[in-house]
Amino acid sequence: MTRMFVDAWDPSYGSSFEGGGEEGPASQSSAQVDTDVEVPAAEWAPIDVSTAIRRPDVVFLVDGVRRNDAGLWTEEEDGTSYAGLAASFAAGVVRCDLARGSAELVDARVGRGLFTASPSAGDVQAGSVRYEVHRVSGTGEASKLPAAVQPSLTALEIDISATARQHEDLLVVDGPLRNRRHLPRTIGYVKTQQKQYLPAALTAVVTSLRPGQRTPVFHIGTVWGGWSWYLRLPGGSGAPWSGIVRVECSPDLTPDQAIELAGLSGATLPRFASSPYKDPRAPQNLVPIAGLERRLRGMLGDSRVLHRALTLATFRDRVHP
Amino acid sequence: MIGVSDETSPVGRVLGTTDATPLQFWTAVTPGSYLQLDDVVVTTRELPDREPVTIAGVVTQVRARHEGAQFDSDVFAIAEGTLPALVQEAAEITTTRVDPELYVPPAPGAVVHRASGSARDAALHFDRMERRIPMGTGRDGVPVFLNADFLDGTRGAHVSISGISGVATKTSFATFLLYSVFRSGQLGADGTNARALIFNVKGEDLLFLDYANTKLDDATTSAYKLLELPATPFSDVRVYAPPRAGDSSGAPDVSSRLTGVDAFYWTLEEFCDKKLLPYVFADADDERQQYTMVVHSVTAHLNRYAVPAEGGISIDGRRISSYGDLVDHIVEQLTDDDTRSTWAGSAINMGTVNAFARRLIGSKRDLARLIRGDLAQRRPHQIKTAESAQVTVVDLHNLPDRAQRFVVGVTLKTEFEEKEKAGTGRPLLFVVLDELNKYAPREGTSPIKEVLLDIAERGRSLGVILIGAQQTASEVERRIVTNSAIRVVGRLDPAEAARPEYGFLPPAMRQRALLARPGTMFVNQPDIPVPLCVEFPFPAWATRKSESGPPPAESMRSIVQGADPFAVVGRPGSDDDIPF
Repeated sequence: MTRMFVDAWDPSYGSSFEGGGEEGPASQSSAQVDTDVEVPAAEWAPIDVSTAIRRPDVVFLVDGVRRNDAGLWTEEEDGTSYAGLAASFAAGVVRCDLARGSAELVDARVGRGLFTASPSAGDVQAGSVRYEVHRVSGTGEASKLPAAVQPSLTALEIDISATARQHEDLLVVDGPLRNRRHLPRTIGYVKTQQKQYLPAALTAVVTSLRPGQRTPVFHIGTVWGGWSWYLRLPGGSGAPWSGIVRVECSPDLTPDQAIELAGLSGATLPRFASSPYKDPRAPQNLVPIAGLERRLRGMLGDSRVLHRALTLATFRDRVHP
Repeated sequence: MIGVSDETSPVGRVLGTTDATPLQFWTAVTPGSYLQLDDVVVTTRELPDREPVTIAGVVTQVRARHEGAQFDSDVFAIAEGTLPALVQEAAEITTTRVDPELYVPPAPGAVVHRASGSARDAALHFDRMERRIPMGTGRDGVPVFLNADFLDGTRGAHVSISGISGVATKTSFATFLLYSVFRSGQLGADGTNARALIFNVKGEDLLFLDYANTKLDDATTSAYKLLELPATPFSDVRVYAPPRAGDSSGAPDVSSRLTGVDAFYWTLEEFCDKKLLPYVFADADDERQQYTMVVHSVTAHLNRYAVPAEGGISIDGRRISSYGDLVDHIVEQLTDDDTRSTWAGSAINMGTVNAFARRLIGSKRDLARLIRGDLAQRRPHQIKTAESAQVTVVDLHNLPDRAQRFVVGVTLKTEFEEKEKAGTGRPLLFVVLDELNKYAPREGTSPIKEVLLDIAERGRSLGVILIGAQQTASEVERRIVTNSAIRVVGRLDPAEAARPEYGFLPPAMRQRALLARPGTMFVNQPDIPVPLCVEFPFPAWATRKSESGPPPAESMRSIVQGADPFAVVGRPGSDDDIPF
């Protein structure tokens, strides 16, 4: 009889790996994967947290949030119309000082943009906030605009990641590292597993991980690839892929440095795992990240107020151009 | 306009997440600053085309919470350092003054300053008080004042003090207030000439008002200095105590204070002439009985037919020299069918007469030592504040209940009648009476309650100021409480604090009254919309034998030597002239 598990994530966030299925991520990755980095593939087994590892006292976590404030339509001189999207986004850094027992928001920045392909659109001043126009290339269909916000947010995240670092800390970036790989002692934290990188034989090692254990480090040979490993956080439902996260670090590091970071992540991250009744994306959505997102959402401002301000501002522009 | 004394002392900003109203608003406290209950703050509101409005108030509630926490258990994650959160404190401000009087709410985000100096005085309306009587220090250690206009009858009078006995320090506060009235000089000549009549109902703790307190320390002395008062005992005190029971010499019945105590009593002649019999029946339940009729007829009969005779009286040709004899005679006359109608009227049945007789006989034991026919008539024995010292203490503590009522009733009636006769409001007479709920209970009537109601309602114009204390204001005649301009509350019983009589206390203060320490009172006066939390200093006078210093020179005399033969000029407050 097939055993059933209810996914701990709220359905509106999608499953813990996009695509669903009990036995693994949706699609097999075509990337070149080298699984012999830490131990030969034949000897793969779950790795426990080594007692020799000194956990960092200070952990920085970076994350960003975004919100679509309003959809817009332009009316061009020639009678054509382009879709526009007014979005607010914010990125922030939390500094968790585990030795002192304090977590604080070190830095946070808010950006707002008007994303459109319209060649004539300008900045929109809505009340006290200004939406800077970001010209989108191509036809700029409404359905593609939300994706256009992501680069601006990532840029903001990268910008802010560099602040307030100190010696012997660890920076956890929410999501893949991508172009943040140059930051020192930084790991990318991937909550959702969209691609299956490992061959089927080794996937069994992933699903057999017990909370706190990790797989050996492997290498993904894509453009944004690098050293990577899987880790199971405590507090999952027990389903094969529940609580599994993929962690990655810069490919510029040596294998030994990557293995050291993998050890650090195994010692550090389980501590931040959230509990299901508090967070719809538990346990993968880390507690500091959840707190940070709440704070950042608060900084975005009230969406109804902004929506109204935008409506009012565009109306005024039409009446008194 | 209220000035902001120190522009560099902002403590927070007006909150916008809760409604800011002209009378109450919340302030977020700047990280690194704090506000405590009773702190005085001030903020301004800019208005178009007008001068800005200054809104001042006191802190009536403070709260601190984690912002960013959703669940109670988040506090552990925050303390562990995994969840980012902010501790944010906020204070509720109750407005005490708006200047100019434009009732606009403060703007959310407006800077709130801590008020000190003249800004604090203005916020608490001290600047408008022409005569201000210091009554202690606030939580911030700065003096707080009472508006004398509401004490001396100019705009209001009477003080009502409530609180649990023992911890509420009601009488201590009453005596401190008196001391402040006499010594602060704020009342001018009225203060110097004012008299006080204090009834000491419990222990002998008010009998040492003129003795220095040996436990007075530097801290207390400096507390007095801060209030601009000397740390000395009361200067002019006369203590009256009842005669010792069964003692024919009429020596005062006190055990700890041995000098400067005078005995008080009434002669039988005064008892008949001044119609004091109704005060023997001063229980509230006495009034409900049928025999009030008998009481009044007998009183009238005694008044008409009793003739003074060598200290005692003579009535119906019989010489009576003690209260016991008088009672026996009255009972005898009433039970005799031939004389009953002349004493009690014709329509009285025997049951009523018997009820009266039973009560009267029962009073013999309690009153025999107070109503005398055996002591020298010309010897001064009456309590008369006009002829006494500045402070007259009447010791009642070892009298039985009925006798206490008799003394209080008769003394107050006599004093009030004197005042009525004089017809002027000066000199002021402060009457300090504890256990007001016993003398003026909410239910029923009694002769004493009538006198007290008279004082409460007409005393203001006659210069009689009642400082009443009680454990429970809810059990005191409502008209007396409502006529008190100044209401003071010490530690309260939780059930009592919930009663409507304490509606003047804001909810937070009502809760605090449950844990008020001795020496802390909440004082409500008409021109400040929020009660003030007051800490008054430890008494500079002795409150018991063990802490009393040497007796003052004046008290070395007894009333027998009321006129000091060595004094060339009469004592202050005495009409005595050169004694020859």
